[in-house]
Amino acid sequence: MTRKIIVRKLFYALLTILVVLVFNYILFRVLPGNPLNMMMRNPRATPETIAAVKEFYGLDQPWYIQFFTYFKHLLTGDLGVSFVYKAPVADVLAQKILPTVLMVGLAEIVAIVVGIFLGILAAWKRGTKLDVATLSFSLVTYSVPTFWLGMILVVIFCVQLRIFPTSGMFTPGKSFPTTFAMLQDLFMHLALPVLTMSLVLIGEYALTMRNTLMDVLSEDYITTARAKGFRERYILKKHALPNAMLPMITIIAINVGFVVAGAIQVETIFSWPGLGRLMYEALRARDYPLLQGVFLLVTVSVVLANVLADITYSYIDPRVKN
Amino acid sequence: MKNRFRRITIFTLILILVTVQIGCGGGQAPGEELSSFTVGSSASFDTMNPLSSYMQVTYEFFMLIYDPLIKYDENYDPVPGLAKEWDISDDELTWTFKLQEGVKWHDGEPFTSEDVKYTYELMMDTGLGYMYSSYLTGITDIQCPDDNTVVMTTDFPKANMLMNSTPILPKHIISEIPEDELEIWANENPVGTGAYKYDSKGDNFVKVVVNEDYFGSIPEVDEYIFVSYDNIDSMAQALMLGEIDGANNLNTAQYQQLMDDENVSVISGEEKGFMQVGVNCWMDDESGGNPLLLDKNIRQAIELAIDKQRIVDMSYNGHGTVGTTLINPGDYFHYEPTAEELRSYDVEKAKSLLDSAGYMDSNGDGVRESTDGTPLEFELITIADNLEEVKSGQMIVSDLAAVGIKINSVTMDSGALYDRIIGGTYDLFIWGWGSDVDPTVITGVLTTDQIGGNNEPFFSNARYDELYLLQQQEMDEEARREMVWEMQQIVYEEAPYIVIIYANNIQAIRSDRWTGFKQIPETGTYFFNLTDYNYRNIRPVE
Repeated sequence: MTRKIIVRKLFYALLTILVVLVFNYILFRVLPGNPLNMMMRNPRATPETIAAVKEFYGLDQPWYIQFFTYFKHLLTGDLGVSFVYKAPVADVLAQKILPTVLMVGLAEIVAIVVGIFLGILAAWKRGTKLDVATLSFSLVTYSVPTFWLGMILVVIFCVQLRIFPTSGMFTPGKSFPTTFAMLQDLFMHLALPVLTMSLVLIGEYALTMRNTLMDVLSEDYITTARAKGFRERYILKKHALPNAMLPMITIIAINVGFVVAGAIQVETIFSWPGLGRLMYEALRARDYPLLQGVFLLVTVSVVLANVLADITYSYIDPRVKN
Repeated sequence: MKNRFRRITIFTLILILVTVQIGCGGGQAPGEELSSFTVGSSASFDTMNPLSSYMQVTYEFFMLIYDPLIKYDENYDPVPGLAKEWDISDDELTWTFKLQEGVKWHDGEPFTSEDVKYTYELMMDTGLGYMYSSYLTGITDIQCPDDNTVVMTTDFPKANMLMNSTPILPKHIISEIPEDELEIWANENPVGTGAYKYDSKGDNFVKVVVNEDYFGSIPEVDEYIFVSYDNIDSMAQALMLGEIDGANNLNTAQYQQLMDDENVSVISGEEKGFMQVGVNCWMDDESGGNPLLLDKNIRQAIELAIDKQRIVDMSYNGHGTVGTTLINPGDYFHYEPTAEELRSYDVEKAKSLLDSAGYMDSNGDGVRESTDGTPLEFELITIADNLEEVKSGQMIVSDLAAVGIKINSVTMDSGALYDRIIGGTYDLFIWGWGSDVDPTVITGVLTTDQIGGNNEPFFSNARYDELYLLQQQEMDEEARREMVWEMQQIVYEEAPYIVIIYANNIQAIRSDRWTGFKQIPETGTYFFNLTDYNYRNIRPVE
């Protein structure tokens, strides 16, 4: 891929982000529900207080001024002040981004590794008991409702086995003597959300991997390779897998892009302090600045992941290169 | 490749083993521990600023951090808080409060009468402090003759002076904040005089620790941790596993489950407040409500046609009482409608009331019309994520269809509903109110003064407004009760609110670990009962 194409791709990515930003800005404001009413449940608030609050959040300006101020501040990295948290949006996001990336990111890694492995195994041993077992496992975890799966895992691991705590990121109110003790506590809390999340994703990855690999394995050039007398494992590794990886890259890119969007369901079951829940809370309170902040983050990461996928294609697929 | 896979497998196994090892070791730390009580709740903290908070769970926290002049004991009788003793002048217009001596704020500054004056005046001037400030109506002058005396003058005898739970805030901190910014001030580090001090806060919890320098008796529990859960099933599990010691707002299925757990004491306690159908009664041309609802006959017919007992049984699994008036039964001020006034479920009576008011189904489509042909068709809004209310709404739709009133049911989130209510652009909605000990706040909701604020149905009644002012000035409790009764009678007769249910709050405590707690009042709740009795009396089981 030439540098020119990369530059063009980046330009389109920026354009996409900009369009989404404008769209979101308008979308949130046509939602019914006035944030000021929700912020101030004080019917006796004096006009001065209301004016001061409005001014603080910039709500006293006409909409077009607010619109341009928003973009002007955005360029300087200022995302505004959250109505609910009464703190800069960037700070609120910063607190939540680590838990989310930690939990969803870890789940993605586990799911990608295990999912691809299971998919390859199933496609390679097509028709055997191993294939049937892998296929059933994947179909079940893929189609099971996340919420239900989470509760079942709580019953197994928390209630029956008593290994993991039920929810949160740390034991609430506990002070840790050492960093190790803190990490240990974090790890115990992290296990179940990651397990739930990755189980759901494994199914998707394994099924896709199996299907594409089976398609590839039935191609003529694989037969040719076999006729040449290559060993099966060599054919799989050198001839089949590179081609089968292409659709996987697409799926992985899309999913990885959504890592920062969190996983509302998993976060809710385990009261995990992530961005998914933050988005839901912000929506309920019509906290526009915060909503915009979360959506900006998600948009940027989804678009970026797709650009990266495009670039990756050019390295693993010679057809894209030209 | 095979080797690599094997290595990964072994590595994974080791990792899992290590995790499990850590897990088993990481449970209870041995040795002497602080007594720490964790309370789970489905609601999360809104803000730690008592001037702008409106969440019940936050008020619970304020009750431990801050002290009012006068507190309630477990019988809701006034007992000394920051005021040691008090006295009222013969004309009942001047109150003298003697304050406790040697009280210090959590940051070490001395507490004085100036703090009381400052807090009260701030709330009266700005209207801040949602629930507290309405208790201050009528106070005209506050003097501090010395550091330990506050003298308040009122322009009428003030009946609820001793029911006033307004927390006294530190002047030396709050006066530093510009007044315009107080509404949005975060109060990151609350400083009070209470029996507990603010310690720390995380994403889903707030922790307080006992104040060893407290002027009163020092409670036995060293720390309370309020944890919020997004999912109440997880909360119930956490309680059964002993991760938490108490839980609020459990659901009815969990009530059954916890009843079988011998380590847990679970109750379905009566809570002050109700769930109601609000009816748009706005007389103004600007009203976006259906004008037919301005006819009292229709409002009363709606109430007659609703099978409230079925709602209690089906939507709330029996955890509540059929509703009538604004104040809960069992409360001193509750008015019980007479047999003649009472509109209990009666389809025939509803039909005949509509018939006699001239609403007939003249075109045979099953929906009644007014004389000018407008059908009795209304929109009912419920809050989407409140399952009990949505279910109740569905039952109301079918109940009203049976008497020829067509209801279009709509669900939305509370923010959108709030907007519709404020704008007066609705017909009917379902929502609830929590209330407190004195009748002032809950009856104040329907005063003309509150239109545009808490007066959701835009109800206005001159006699009601007059009684509202008079009852606050009536020092004779029985005479005051007569007035509050009349107010409830008016609201019941006019039916701007159709009170459906006084719902219970299901709560539980680990009784294998803790003792000394009780329901307040006798059929009430452990937590959220407006007293700090349980927080101060819970102690570990020996």
